[in-house]
Amino acid sequence: MRKELLTMPMHCLFAWGVLACAVGLLQGAALASTADHSQFKGLQQDFKSGSAVTKICLECHTKAAGEVMASKHWSWEWPDPHSKKMLGKQNVLTSFSLGIQSNNPVCSVCHVGYGWKDNNFDFTAQENVDCLVCHDTTGTYRKQSGMAGHPPVVAMEFPPGSGNVVKPVDLKEVAQNVGKSSRDNCGACHFYGGGGDGVKHGDLDSSLAAPEKDVDVHMNALGLDFSCTECHKTTRHQVAGSRYALTATDVHGALMRGSKDDRNPSTCQACHGNASHKLARLNRHADKLACQTCHIPQYARGGIATKLTWDWSAAGRKDKDGQPLVEKDANGHVVYDAKKGSFTYGENMVPDYFWFNGKVDHLTVSDKIDPTNSVPLNRFYGSPADGASRIWPFKVMRATQPYDKVHMTMLKAHTTGNDEDSYGKSFDWHKAVTRGMQDAGKPFSGQMGFVETEMSWPITHMVAPKEQALSCVACHGAESRLAKVPGIHLPGHHAHGWLDKLGWGLAWLTLLGVIVHGAGRAFTSRKGARK
Amino acid sequence: MKSHFSILSGITLGLLALSFAGEAADGDWKRGRVYYRFVCTDCHKGGSSEIPPNSRSMAEWKAYFQADKHEKGKTSLKYYVSKAFRESIKAKNQAAAKFIDVPEDQLMKDIEAFAIRGAKDGDAPATCN
Amino acid sequence: MSERIYVFPLFERFWHWAQAILIMLLLVTGFEAHGTYRLLGFERAVDTHTAGAWALIGLWVFAIFWHFTTGEWKQYIPTLQKVDAMIKYYVFGIFTNAPHPFRLTRLHKHNPLQRLAYLGVMLFIGPLLWFTGWLYIFYGYWAAWGWEQYLSLQWISFFHTTGAFLMLLFLIVHVYLITTGHTVLSHFKAMITGWEEVD
Repeated sequence: MRKELLTMPMHCLFAWGVLACAVGLLQGAALASTADHSQFKGLQQDFKSGSAVTKICLECHTKAAGEVMASKHWSWEWPDPHSKKMLGKQNVLTSFSLGIQSNNPVCSVCHVGYGWKDNNFDFTAQENVDCLVCHDTTGTYRKQSGMAGHPPVVAMEFPPGSGNVVKPVDLKEVAQNVGKSSRDNCGACHFYGGGGDGVKHGDLDSSLAAPEKDVDVHMNALGLDFSCTECHKTTRHQVAGSRYALTATDVHGALMRGSKDDRNPSTCQACHGNASHKLARLNRHADKLACQTCHIPQYARGGIATKLTWDWSAAGRKDKDGQPLVEKDANGHVVYDAKKGSFTYGENMVPDYFWFNGKVDHLTVSDKIDPTNSVPLNRFYGSPADGASRIWPFKVMRATQPYDKVHMTMLKAHTTGNDEDSYGKSFDWHKAVTRGMQDAGKPFSGQMGFVETEMSWPITHMVAPKEQALSCVACHGAESRLAKVPGIHLPGHHAHGWLDKLGWGLAWLTLLGVIVHGAGRAFTSRKGARK
Repeated sequence: MKSHFSILSGITLGLLALSFAGEAADGDWKRGRVYYRFVCTDCHKGGSSEIPPNSRSMAEWKAYFQADKHEKGKTSLKYYVSKAFRESIKAKNQAAAKFIDVPEDQLMKDIEAFAIRGAKDGDAPATCN
Repeated sequence: MSERIYVFPLFERFWHWAQAILIMLLLVTGFEAHGTYRLLGFERAVDTHTAGAWALIGLWVFAIFWHFTTGEWKQYIPTLQKVDAMIKYYVFGIFTNAPHPFRLTRLHKHNPLQRLAYLGVMLFIGPLLWFTGWLYIFYGYWAAWGWEQYLSLQWISFFHTTGAFLMLLFLIVHVYLITTGHTVLSHFKAMITGWEEVD
């Protein structure tokens, strides 16, 4: 199209028309760039792989790959300064996936790299960095699940023998149209965490790609239209505001642009400060409550359901013909999948509320568990008395998943892929777990069972317009959202049982007393009058 | 004559690159998405009146935009993208207001780009959500 | 025979009625904020309660000034003299048309029981409500002032509610006892006109 402009006057005139209003249309600086990548010679070739594109990118952006490699997006590891444990996707457990090591070809669809299919992946090779997944603006770039993070470059049947034809990605077109990361780029993975739209987080799903104001007041496509990086300020490819290192309590004012500060720029307070309500009484609530608690009245508000429970132990059922069973509910949600187990979903969910001081602990397969109780896969610490905690909203995910009956640890399992060890193929948990633990380099005793787990996910997106923030009575009424939260006194909710009974009892007795007294007076005075 | 055109075109391209990073002439699927979801679905919502992009193939969408027929030809599709239409609903439709100055042809391309991208055989099949 | 004495000067009457309205407003909104019933809605109840509280505090500043500059505070000096007679009168005498044991004068306009009751309201129930109420209002500053370790909102709320119940009991008895004057309405009229009819 652009080349045609040079020779076609009609288009040229049309382009002038576009130009005439371009100034009024510019939607922030995100679209503006001084480089037209389609003009670059190096990008005018038919790329055969993502890595081939990366090599060209690195010719100019020489430091970019190194910066990406220093991020969690690349390493999937995060050394926790509190517990000294190595966390990150490689090590933590969730209810949604039973470990990545044996499932890399699938998991790597969201790795910012090419080719991580097993433990032999070269984390030092710069051409393995995937620039396009974060910088595509055409919306056509796709990594294919099962292909270890590679995009399909030719039309092909995938998985082989499935009859499913995968469309190729035009890498040249994508490479010539790179730009700043948008909600669609981040969302390509973060909206679909846990294996599907909205599945994992509850406050992140594809409704945020172009949301209405009611769904998210900041990302509102017709209003502020914030990109993710507006809050998750990114410098040198390091994205601020991680779930591993949340700022539970930010007592500082708004963050000054350009100031040298190692504060987390993704907190509400980093823009709004700590006293942005007109009513002082509301500002003072901030010494107990996170902003999110009132301003995100429900999660999963965009019309996309989030998973609430996942029972892996229910997996394996087949229909009459011996085919793995898949069942959907009336809304089209898969509620049973023989390869995965059974699920429940929820929309417009009221969060759970806990005290949280910023310290989080995550379970790894090396940690001992107590299978007699529901096992917390992560733990958000906090208390009403430590002065550092605020009451935060959470989605609590409940699951039933495998554990080692002898070692008393949680288990990883090989659930994806087409090989005989894969649970999705063999429907044999023993095989799947043996392989999963082997690839993770952890011991498995051979004795496995299923244990209930729960995992908390902090809710911080889908901030509602202020008119839809919680009203006082949501907490201060007889039915209180914070009824189970310890260490707070909620006027209007917490009455004083016996004091109220005593007080009203005395009041009614006194009233009765004066009525009787008055009646007595009336009676005797009439008698007196008759006398 | 020819050189005149190439100078004009050169300036055009240069300014375009500055203002739109070279996107304006192509359909901007993101703007198309906003128009589709906030203007089209303002009427096309609920039950059978809903037309998710993934209900048609890329070829069907191309043909649809080519034909320019709305309500089976009773009205034209162009009308619902026109400035006059946007002007008439801008008071109650923020998307129409936001894109009030986008040229009609451009906006039509944007919407088509989104529909084709979201088609059932498109790059990112899209529902109405 | 009855005579009339001017007992309540204009300011005192204004103070009394303004206070009466505010106290009733505070009771109604306070018990709503406490969660006893729904009337205005929690938020409006709290707002009204807070505004009413500040208004009452302002009124009290003037009233205290007035009491001390006029010497009227002496009306509340407690005495146990004739208290037994007063109790006996309310329990028995009032039913048998016995004479009132207290004779109101300009210098002693409250009977001994009234003195005790009003003094109790002003020195105990009132301060209990003011102090706990202030702590409630300034709850958000406890931490900044270093008070958090000594105070708990739960107990502040407990004592504030206790004060409210005591005030309610006083109000019921007070409203009833104003009907026990020379005629049923004479005390009431006195608080409006300032002139009390006495035997």
